[in-house]
Amino acid sequence: MKYTIRRIWMLVVTMLIVSFMTFLAFELVSGDPAQTMLGTEATPEQLAALRHELGLDQPFFARYFRWLGGFFTGDLGSSYIYRQGVWGLIAPKLSLTLLLALISFILITVISIPLGVWSYRFVGGPFDWLRTTFNQLCMAVPPFFVGILLCWIFGIILHLFTPGDFPALRSDPGGALRHLLFASICLCIPRIAMTVRMMRSTVIGEMEKAYVRTAISRGNDRRQVLTRHVLKNSLTSTVTFLGQTMAELVGGSIVVEQVFGIPGLGRFLVSSISNRDYPVVQAIVVLLAFWVVLAGTIADLINQRVDPRLRLGGGAK
Amino acid sequence: MLEIKDLHVQFNSRDHEAVSGVTLTIHDGEILGLVGESGSGKSVTAMSIAGLLPRKQCKLSGDVLLDGQDLLHAQRSELRRLHGRKIGVVFQEPMSSMDPLMRVGTQIGETLRIHQPDMPKEERHRLVYEAMRDVELPNPEETYRKYPHELSGGQQQRAMIAAAIVSRPSLLLLDEPTTALDVTIQAQILELLKKLNRETGISMLFISHNLNVVRKLCKRVAVMQKGKLVETGTTEDVFFRPQHPYTQKLIESIPTRHGKEVR
Repeated sequence: MKYTIRRIWMLVVTMLIVSFMTFLAFELVSGDPAQTMLGTEATPEQLAALRHELGLDQPFFARYFRWLGGFFTGDLGSSYIYRQGVWGLIAPKLSLTLLLALISFILITVISIPLGVWSYRFVGGPFDWLRTTFNQLCMAVPPFFVGILLCWIFGIILHLFTPGDFPALRSDPGGALRHLLFASICLCIPRIAMTVRMMRSTVIGEMEKAYVRTAISRGNDRRQVLTRHVLKNSLTSTVTFLGQTMAELVGGSIVVEQVFGIPGLGRFLVSSISNRDYPVVQAIVVLLAFWVVLAGTIADLINQRVDPRLRLGGGAK
Repeated sequence: MLEIKDLHVQFNSRDHEAVSGVTLTIHDGEILGLVGESGSGKSVTAMSIAGLLPRKQCKLSGDVLLDGQDLLHAQRSELRRLHGRKIGVVFQEPMSSMDPLMRVGTQIGETLRIHQPDMPKEERHRLVYEAMRDVELPNPEETYRKYPHELSGGQQQRAMIAAAIVSRPSLLLLDEPTTALDVTIQAQILELLKKLNRETGISMLFISHNLNVVRKLCKRVAVMQKGKLVETGTTEDVFFRPQHPYTQKLIESIPTRHGKEVR
C-alpha cells in the first residue's frame, strides 16, 4: 500500500516537472503570441490590448499556474487558429485516439501473450525459421502500408468501412468502432510481432533458470512447468513491455489516423504544429507525456503485485 | 535399492564421455557419498538417475534400476510419476533453485499437488507442516506464507529439503547441497540429513567435492575422476587406506589443523 502511494506521489511530481518544462519550452520558443495573431501590421496599442486579453501581461509563474489549473477546470487557453477553447477542440479527438489505443492494446494483450507462449514450442524445431521470418515480416512492414492494404481490401473491396469517411461516434457508434477496429489492426500487427518475440525470448531465458530444473525434478511436465512457474516469472517483463507499448501506441497512431482518416489527436497535433498553434500543441504534448508516465506507473503497480521482491522498497513485509 | 550398472553418458557437443562405465549400488537406508573434483562426472551421474539430462542432447547407455525399475530407458511420463514421489532432489543453490514468485509452503507441497491431485487441501497442508517440522524450519505457519527471498540461505535449503521429502520418497539425491552455505549452516544441514536418514530410513546419494563433509555424513564413499569410478569403499577404508593414487592425492589435499595429517 505504501508503495502504491509513493508511486502515485512520484507520478504527480513527474507530471508537475513535465508540465513546467513544456510551459517553459513553449515560452522560449513561441515568441509573442499576440504578434503572431495580429501580424506585423498591428499597432502597439492593439498588441497591448490583445496581450492583456490573453493574460500575457501577467508574470510567468502566475500564467503557469493558471494554465496548470486549466487541466482541471478545462480552461487551457484558446487556439490561435480556431479562436476556440483548446480543451473543447482537443476533447473529442482525444477520446477517439484513446479509444483507438485501447482497442489496439486489448488486441495486443489478448493475441500476443498466448501466441508468445505457444511460439516457444517451435524453439529448435524445423519450423522455427518460418515463424521467425513471419515475425520479422510483421515487424518490418510499415503501418502505413498495411493501412493502405487494409483500406483497399476491407474498405474498397469488401465495403466493411469507408476509408477517409469516419462516422461520428455519437450517431453511428457501430460504424465508428468498426472503422477504429481496422485502424487498430494496422497499428497492432508490428507490435504483436514485437511482443511475441519479446515473450518468446523471456520464456526461453526463464526456461534456463535453476528453478525450472527443480520443477521438473518434482514431476511437472512441460506444460505444467510453463503454466505454474515460467509464465508468472515472465510476466513482469511482459507487463513492463506492454506498458511501453501502451505509451507508444498513442504516438504511433498519428500515421494510422492519417491513413484511415480518423479525426484523432495525432492528426490534429500534426496540423497544429504546422500552423504554429502553440496553445494546442502545448496541451497535447502535456497530455501525451501524462499518458506515457501513467502507463509506466500502472505497469509498475501491476508488477509490484506480481513480484513480491519489488515490494521490499515499499516497507510492506 | 538403486543399482547403476555400466552407466555411460556422452553429450553430443563433447567428444569424450562425461560418465564412462560407472557401476554403483546404494543400499536401503544408506547415505552414499560421491566425491570428485568439478567436471569428474558426479553431478551428471546424479542427473541421469534423476532423469534430468536432456535426452536429445546426449547418448545414454547402461542400466539405472530403482527397486528393479529401469530409469534410464523409461518413458518420460513414467519418469514424471517417479520424480518427487520416489526420488527427491536437492540442488546446490537454494535461492535460484526455488521459484521466486511462489510461496515457500506451496513449493514444499508441490509434489503432493502433482502426484496426489485428489488429496484434500487440509491434508496437504498438514503434510507440508509435518515436513517443515522435520527439517526444523521455524514458525511453519508463518514460513508457509513467505517467499524464498524472505528466508535465509540455510532456511531456503531446509525448505528445499522439505520439498524433496514431503512425498516421502525412498531416495534423496543431494547435489552439493551445502556448498553454497557457510560453514556453521553447512554443519547444521549435515546434522539434519543424518537425523532424517536415521528417523525415516531414506536412502541418500550425497555429492560433494568436499571430502570432509562426506566423511562426516557417509558410511560409504565412491570417488570419481574424469567420468570413471576410481574407488569405492567404506569411508574408513577410503580415507585411511586409499588404494588409488587419485584418492590419495585428494586426501592429501585436505587442509588440516596445525599442518598435521588427517590420519
